[in-house]
Amino acid sequence: MKEQKPTVFVVDDDAAVRDSLRLLLKSVGLPVEVFESGQDFLDAERDDRPGCLVLDIRMPGMSGLELQVKLNERHSILPIIFITGHGDVPMAVEAMQAGAVDFIQKPFRDQDLLDRINQALDKDAGSRRMLAERNMIRKRLDSLTPREREVLDLVVAGKANKVIAGDLNLSQRTVEIHRARVMEKMEAHSLAHLVRMVLEVERPEA
Amino acid sequence: MAIRHTQAHRGPAERRARSRRELEFRAVLDAAVDAIIVIDHEGTIEEFSRAATQIFGYEASEIVGQNVRELMPEPYRGQHDGYLRRYLEGGSPNVIGVGREVVARRKDGSLFPCDLAVGQVREVEPPRFIGFIRDITARKESDEKLRRSEAELRLAQELANLGNYVMHPVRGKQDYFSPQLHRILGIREGDFKIDREEFLDRWVHAADRKRVADAFVRMDAGQAPLDIEYQVVLQDGTVKHLHHLAQAVRDAEGRIVKYVGTIHDVTDRRRAESEARVLQERLTHFSRLSTMGEMAAGLAHEINQPLSAIATYAQACQRLMRLPEPGTEDVIAALEQINAQALRAGEVIRRLRNFVKNREVKREPVDCTRLLEDLRTLADTDARLHNIRLRLDCQDALPTVYADPIQLQQVVLNLVRNAIDAMTDVTEERREVLLSSRRTEDEEVEITVADHGTGLAPEATEHLFNPFFTTKASGTGLGLAISRSIVRAHGGRLWHTPNDDCGVRFHFTLPVSPAVTGD
Repeated sequence: MKEQKPTVFVVDDDAAVRDSLRLLLKSVGLPVEVFESGQDFLDAERDDRPGCLVLDIRMPGMSGLELQVKLNERHSILPIIFITGHGDVPMAVEAMQAGAVDFIQKPFRDQDLLDRINQALDKDAGSRRMLAERNMIRKRLDSLTPREREVLDLVVAGKANKVIAGDLNLSQRTVEIHRARVMEKMEAHSLAHLVRMVLEVERPEA
Repeated sequence: MAIRHTQAHRGPAERRARSRRELEFRAVLDAAVDAIIVIDHEGTIEEFSRAATQIFGYEASEIVGQNVRELMPEPYRGQHDGYLRRYLEGGSPNVIGVGREVVARRKDGSLFPCDLAVGQVREVEPPRFIGFIRDITARKESDEKLRRSEAELRLAQELANLGNYVMHPVRGKQDYFSPQLHRILGIREGDFKIDREEFLDRWVHAADRKRVADAFVRMDAGQAPLDIEYQVVLQDGTVKHLHHLAQAVRDAEGRIVKYVGTIHDVTDRRRAESEARVLQERLTHFSRLSTMGEMAAGLAHEINQPLSAIATYAQACQRLMRLPEPGTEDVIAALEQINAQALRAGEVIRRLRNFVKNREVKREPVDCTRLLEDLRTLADTDARLHNIRLRLDCQDALPTVYADPIQLQQVVLNLVRNAIDAMTDVTEERREVLLSSRRTEDEEVEITVADHGTGLAPEATEHLFNPFFTTKASGTGLGLAISRSIVRAHGGRLWHTPNDDCGVRFHFTLPVSPAVTGD
């Protein structure tokens, strides 16, 4: 998989604020794209690119919070840093509850914003890594035969080979062969590793 | 009869002559309008004329032979004998040949005022007196009426604080100044002898002098009667507002004979009006202050925007300058922006200060398009705070209106804020306020503020313009009441209509500036 350079997306209706942010991010060598409104951002083709979103909470028309709701509906994982004015604490709380990673009051120290952006980018990279890993695990699971899958489920449930042989009406030797195939296909280093991978993708809420 | 009796012994010729005189006397007696009564030295009535019967109600036959005291009420009654005696003893005549006003008594006991003149009949013994009595009831009544109407006029003038006068072009000639006029001008009755020049120089307030003098000249020239309001400074320094009406009365040749005029003291009214105006202005100013108070959060945000941009530009510049290859072009552009944003913040503060400044209300020709664009800075504040778009649609080449620009902004801002408040709970697509202006067919400029909010409840419509009526949790309820009074004071109207699809439109009109031709 080709590693994409993360981009900082800025949505702010105030041209000066928008432009100054663009310049600041450019000065530290971060790729940046700016948008005048929430709708412009939604309309732009982003192909779910990695990065983070720096979003003004108050804007005429679609507010920052409304854009956040729309992105959540699209299952976007893009971390959001809200820029708030004085006295916007209740809105900031609402934004955090809806999954924003952080908020910063303007005017702000550049380093504070850059730190938050870096954290957000790390978080985004982490989530993307995790997503990639889950996809990989799911692919490996899909490669198992039905019998191997049955054996796997019972192994993850903590049953010994003898018990599994009894449950599935197989010889213990056959169970051992299936089990070795599962470990191989799943590229598991250990039983613990195997269990962690299965739980990673098959937790009830995942 | 008593006379006849004394003449009975005379000869026939003499009797004829006497009887002719007697007949003449009788004729005079009966023809006289005044009552004629003849008494002797003791007061016994000897003759009682026809008019006397009419006036007193006694027939001659009833009263002749009685004492004249019967015709008098006390205290004259008791004093009469004394008068007669004193006169006959050579005393001073109290009444003979002079006449006086006394009170007499009718047969029915009622009293009436009369003029009494008494003459003495000489050459007869004992002396006799003839009394001429004129009933002056009617004259007394009309005197009384006149007195009363004068008193009433005086009272009316007092109540109205209105004085009148008659003056003559020749100084002092039968000039009249009513008592109330003296009181208004703070002078004692009889003291006021003054001509027009003195009045202008010593009484009329310097600021009004020229105007009053011109009005006098126009009256003299016959162009217009005097009708003018001005201030005077009394001798004790008190300042009064007078409303002076006057006319010149002319003779057949057109020469001015006299001036008649009234002077109305309108000080209290003017003072009340000016107090009301001051109160109204204070209230209007207070309302602007409270509007700004309510907008404080938005204004802080509005100033925060450029400050935030400045800070970010400056920090970006530092970083750019430290790069191995500093981005000079970017730095220059950022510095330009820093400058522009500082000016922008200053502009917000300037508009804000202008808006809340306690200042003289001043009307001037106002370009509505410029005014609305100026206002946008303040109005946007609130709009942004509520994530609402503010759209401006001004007709080209609008004529100017004659108005106080700040009060006008106050009206528009109030309407825009109401529109914003009406839309806080509506969906994103609807959240837009349209502020438009156009010229009407009636030489007016109409400004409209349209929202797409929840509209007006019927009960709200009813009380919308009442002071202290509000549908907001934190509103004074003065906004619309004050807006309407401002618009009315400018000669315009303020009203509302439902918006096409949803929401409300508030409209107001202002007359186009006079004497300014549209371009």
